[in-house]
Amino acid sequence: MSKRLRIASWFLISGLGVEALSLLWNHPLAFVAFIVPGGVLILAGLGLYVWALLSRAPA
Amino acid sequence: MPTTALLALIGLSIFVIIFLAMRPQRLQTRAGKVLAFVGFLILPVIALTLGASNHLEHSKTTQFCLSCHEMQPYGQSLYIDDPEYLPAAHFQNKRMPRDFACFSCHTDYTMYGDVNAKLRGLRHLWVHYAGTIPEDIALYTPFQNRECLHCHSGARSFEENDMHVDMLGELEAQEVSCLDCHASVHDVDEVAEQPKWQGPPITGGHR
Repeated sequence: MSKRLRIASWFLISGLGVEALSLLWNHPLAFVAFIVPGGVLILAGLGLYVWALLSRAPA
Repeated sequence: MPTTALLALIGLSIFVIIFLAMRPQRLQTRAGKVLAFVGFLILPVIALTLGASNHLEHSKTTQFCLSCHEMQPYGQSLYIDDPEYLPAAHFQNKRMPRDFACFSCHTDYTMYGDVNAKLRGLRHLWVHYAGTIPEDIALYTPFQNRECLHCHSGARSFEENDMHVDMLGELEAQEVSCLDCHASVHDVDEVAEQPKWQGPPITGGHR
């Protein structure tokens, strides 16, 4: 697994974890937590995965 | 999508990522590459999209609006025992869904009305935590008749009232306001002293 893909996994797992917690949190700030850091981490993970795909990094 | 189903989707996505990360050699096979595409891209995109939708739907609920203490007197005003009191009459007679009472009247019924309403909500959040809460909470712009007419236009009770029919053009052009006649709206200074309807409490909505 390439370094980029490994970092992407961490970003995605963290982002999805934050998203899950924000869905369980009944508070006006839950949406903010969902966007930052949740959404940012997921988008970073997606970006790294797509970059790894496009740059044909060894899997 | 229900929150539990969304949580299951997030769990599945995390499981696939961990499954592939634990044994990187799985990525050498065609099936592994397809699974990685699903786990690293498709499922997170779906989870992110549905998560945003879930949060937006939840933020439309009456309970969500009233979770800020500044809004609690406005919530109490929905229980005032007076058929002439506009928000209470709408809430108590189910003229809008009770779980979405605030949003039903205070969204803009335009193409981007929901988004605009939620952006205003983020501004409220900013003011709540980082700004100064004004003593008199007021709308940003005068209340638009469009929001009333969205439901009332075409309704029998509205159209059988001669005054409404005579003034429909002016109402649609916002030359006169519905609130010029129906003026008893969220008078929160006096809400504590008003007699209250003993109706069901406001509940949670979607989650």
